[in-house]
Amino acid sequence: MTMKTLPRRTVLRGIGTAIALPWLEAMTSRPVRGASPASKAPTRLAYVYVPNGVHMPDWTPTATGTDFDLPALLQPLKSVREDLMVLGGLALDPARSHGDGGGDHARAMATFLTGTHPRKTGGADLHAGISVDQLAAREVGQATRFASLEIGCEGGRDSGQCDHGYSCAYQVNLSWRGESSPAAKEVDPRFVFERLFEGQVAGEADPAAARRQRRDRSLLDFVSEDARRLRDKLGVEDRRKVEEYLTGVREIERRIDAARPAVNIGQASLARPSGIPSDYREHLRLMSDLLVLAFRVDLTRIATFVFANDGSNRSYPSIGVPEGHHDLSHHGQDTQKCTKIQTINRFHVEQFAYLVERLKEVREADGTLLDHSMIVYGSGISDGNAHAHENLPILLAGKGNGTIKSGCHIRLPDETPLTNLHLSLLDRMGVSTQAFGDSTGRLTSLDA
Amino acid sequence: MPRFAILTGLACLSAIAGCGAQATPPPAFARAESVAQIIPRSMPTYEADVAPTIDRYCLGCHGPSTRKGGIDLDGDAPSLETWGRVADALRTGTMPPSGKPRPSPEQLAVLGEWLDLEVFHCSASDLDPGRVTMRRLNRAEYNNTIRDLLGIEIRLSEAFPADDVGYGFDNIGDVLSIPPILMEKYLKASELAIAEAVRSSRAWSRIMNPAPDMVPIALRKPTFAVRTEPVKRIGRPEPPAPIVEDPEMVALRRAHEILRAFVDKAFRRPATTDELARLVSLVESARKDGDSFEDTIAYALKAVLISPGFLFHVEEEPEVGQGPLVNDFELASRLSYFLWSSLPDDELYRLATRGELRKGDNLARQVRRMLRDEKARALLDGFALQWLQIRSLKDATPDPSRFPEFDQPLRKAMFEETSRLARSILLEDGPISDFLDADYSFVNERLARHYGIPGVVGDEFRRVSLAGSHRRGVMTHASVLTVTSSPDRTSPVKRGKWVLDNLLGMPPPPPPEGVEALKPEQTGGRTATLRQRMERHRVDPKCASCHARMDPLGFALESFDGIGGWRSAEGGEPIDDSATLPGGESFGGASGLHDVLIARRQSFAHCLTEKMLTYAIGRGLGPADRCFVDEIARKLERGDGRSSALIMAIVESPPFQSRAKVTP
Repeated sequence: MTMKTLPRRTVLRGIGTAIALPWLEAMTSRPVRGASPASKAPTRLAYVYVPNGVHMPDWTPTATGTDFDLPALLQPLKSVREDLMVLGGLALDPARSHGDGGGDHARAMATFLTGTHPRKTGGADLHAGISVDQLAAREVGQATRFASLEIGCEGGRDSGQCDHGYSCAYQVNLSWRGESSPAAKEVDPRFVFERLFEGQVAGEADPAAARRQRRDRSLLDFVSEDARRLRDKLGVEDRRKVEEYLTGVREIERRIDAARPAVNIGQASLARPSGIPSDYREHLRLMSDLLVLAFRVDLTRIATFVFANDGSNRSYPSIGVPEGHHDLSHHGQDTQKCTKIQTINRFHVEQFAYLVERLKEVREADGTLLDHSMIVYGSGISDGNAHAHENLPILLAGKGNGTIKSGCHIRLPDETPLTNLHLSLLDRMGVSTQAFGDSTGRLTSLDA
Repeated sequence: MPRFAILTGLACLSAIAGCGAQATPPPAFARAESVAQIIPRSMPTYEADVAPTIDRYCLGCHGPSTRKGGIDLDGDAPSLETWGRVADALRTGTMPPSGKPRPSPEQLAVLGEWLDLEVFHCSASDLDPGRVTMRRLNRAEYNNTIRDLLGIEIRLSEAFPADDVGYGFDNIGDVLSIPPILMEKYLKASELAIAEAVRSSRAWSRIMNPAPDMVPIALRKPTFAVRTEPVKRIGRPEPPAPIVEDPEMVALRRAHEILRAFVDKAFRRPATTDELARLVSLVESARKDGDSFEDTIAYALKAVLISPGFLFHVEEEPEVGQGPLVNDFELASRLSYFLWSSLPDDELYRLATRGELRKGDNLARQVRRMLRDEKARALLDGFALQWLQIRSLKDATPDPSRFPEFDQPLRKAMFEETSRLARSILLEDGPISDFLDADYSFVNERLARHYGIPGVVGDEFRRVSLAGSHRRGVMTHASVLTVTSSPDRTSPVKRGKWVLDNLLGMPPPPPPEGVEALKPEQTGGRTATLRQRMERHRVDPKCASCHARMDPLGFALESFDGIGGWRSAEGGEPIDDSATLPGGESFGGASGLHDVLIARRQSFAHCLTEKMLTYAIGRGLGPADRCFVDEIARKLERGDGRSSALIMAIVESPPFQSRAKVTP
């Protein structure tokens, strides 16, 4: 059975309209960190990553402040201009070589959310840093069924060498649970759907689910015991692997123990995604829909969404760019190539606009879901031709529950660490930390 | 290690030094005799034998004042890593650079021997065999293991996140992590797998009616400290059954038997009495919950499938006083995951149980048997296609306006051709040099049409002669030519780099920092041909040194378009596929490239050895592995370059046979 994707997506967008808002119930009974006072909706945080930089001359508004213009690449965001902050001047110094030679694509991806220069290794001793989303998830993730959601539209590289001697783990993972534990992303919308919503669609409730969960719980107890016994007999590196295993087990146990009533997401007619759409735009939009839905029904408050891995050489034939993105990004100022890069950049921004608009459509509490969100969009590279890591293209959408002054273009001093933004958003998630990665302070210019 | 063997290897240096001045070097083995006679059998010393050679041939560039490439061979004791680079440069003949005076073969041999004995200590009896980090099953291994354990065909791991890749492979212990999402997937997959087994009456009856226990009780020693609570009586099946027995006891005893057989297989080693007791208690609790006997068994099997003993390749720390050799069960498992990406079968298991796997020529016989088994296909998918980077063919997106003929059947046929060549070499004991210059290949009608080979009709693949065609060896396969192209054009740089990385084992260093792409005026703009634009890589000396190594290898393949079709012109201009290597060696086209590669087949053998060893042991190679790689390459040479010699030498090597103890 094959269905066209579009109708399915439309159906997906329609669901969840008549649901209880779980965070409201949760708020009244037990306040959690990161949540605003009980009458308010929780703050959500997401990071959207695009690879290979953007064509900066058509990205940066000429005017700063609230009266800023929307250059060609930002035009697709016109309808959400007032919910948008354009941030200029941010830099990702840890992505620079610092004596490690080439590998800017791997480093751009590995440092974007970690702010930590990754160790150059083909595999042994992977070392980056915990990423900002995971730090937030540690604090506020307990409140929701899923501590965080990692999704993307380009999977791992399953063969060959990655960027200049860096393990592919650096180049395909945006999110890091710990300094040596990347958090893999899910790229198939069908699996995202099943993971998030299985057993929660009205009319599909599984009467045996409760019993099965109880049984699963005993099984997990059983294997944790195995794992703990094994761990005690192992060397340091091996022990780390068992720790990862145990963390995974605990995560599932927590979910079962929370005994949160299943979120009934409504309509029984819901059609599930049947796999990865062949059209990339549909793939991005389907994933966006799932992300919006997960935020909306409060299954998670933290997400990362990788449009494509850095260094991606994906071609975009459907928008008239049959060349590879990475190839084009080394355009050598060739005007034709630059034009095609712009076409790709604009396409990505259009898809981001789609995501932001969907968030804005959802009414909740005193405003919209977008009002309660902080969605960062950007790349760890500005000019792809030169692999530059300064003056990055960064957008922030959403008002962060009234904490962010949106609708403006702010030009920060050159070399302001991107991690200053991370730190400022961590504050808003209720995570108290003095520093993050290479941060030097907070961005007060965000403040509403 | 016998010194003679070391000399044999070193003698090869002279044959390949100088970037292939000789088209076809004489067999290294024959030359070794003469070199061996020349060299005095005393240990070379630094002062007398090494320093003079280094002074004369190296210090001009790598002295304290020059330090080219950051290497100073005159300073205080260069590091092991520096010496490693020296050894590689000498072995591959990249240093001294062409045009500079070179040491004689004898001097090179002495230098090499000194490095082997005095720097790398290759003759030491306690060389560090290295230590693979405990790795989990990767996706391919998970599917195959479930298939062979349960007897069902179900590909569950497709729902798992992609395995991260390190050192070019997806089975590297350090890189394979278990993010929480994967644990969720394991839990769900265990449910689906067992449900499928229950549905299959054949699979289920096999599980429910296990063969008698052949494992001596001594091998079922508890691996873990016994818990304080008493172990259940049913832990030991030996005692004679009483005349009247509680039916519940009978059921539990049967459960014990079923689980014993299942865990033995699932954990790739005998289940311990303690583990079995715990599992049986799980069954017991499920029985109390009102489950049927079969349901309780299914429940316990699920536990097995999410246990660390199933999901990880666990290797026990040796007891105090034991050497680093892995035990027979672990060795059987290493073998079966290397060649089959799956668990040991009954025969391997039986040999391990008897402790006979290493006896006589058992290992060699098992390897031969395993390579003949259809399961060895996993070596093609897991090793060959990853090594050659053909897996990324599935993501290749050639520009449809330029390559309208590229379609799914062609993509599939490209995969199949390379897979079949790898099969004929790796599984049918072909010479590894066939990867470079096989004058045969495997095509179906679709691929034959792409290649312009007449007379091939139908979808099935057949072996065809390439005599008289432009193609020979794997680098003229459309698969390789496609994955090393950009979507809209060929990329001589990618192709050259591919040859250096994967065939010659001489990866070019990364671009220097701060290099900007060439400006249009530097490249002659778009009016210039691709070839002309590429030539501009020589404009900047910072770029030139590496591009001079990469680009010519790619230029020679310019007669093959972005999907590996033959072409004689591009944009109206005739193709120029002539090339000149940094040393001044000129060659033309694919056939010239073949000569260049064949002249460097020692480098190829060394490169393939490193790649396959990495895959076989699941970890990246370090400086300490140098002696092992050299020794395997020598055995390969002595085995006439046959793949069986390579595979066997890897299986016999210390990194495969042993695991270093934890450093305290």
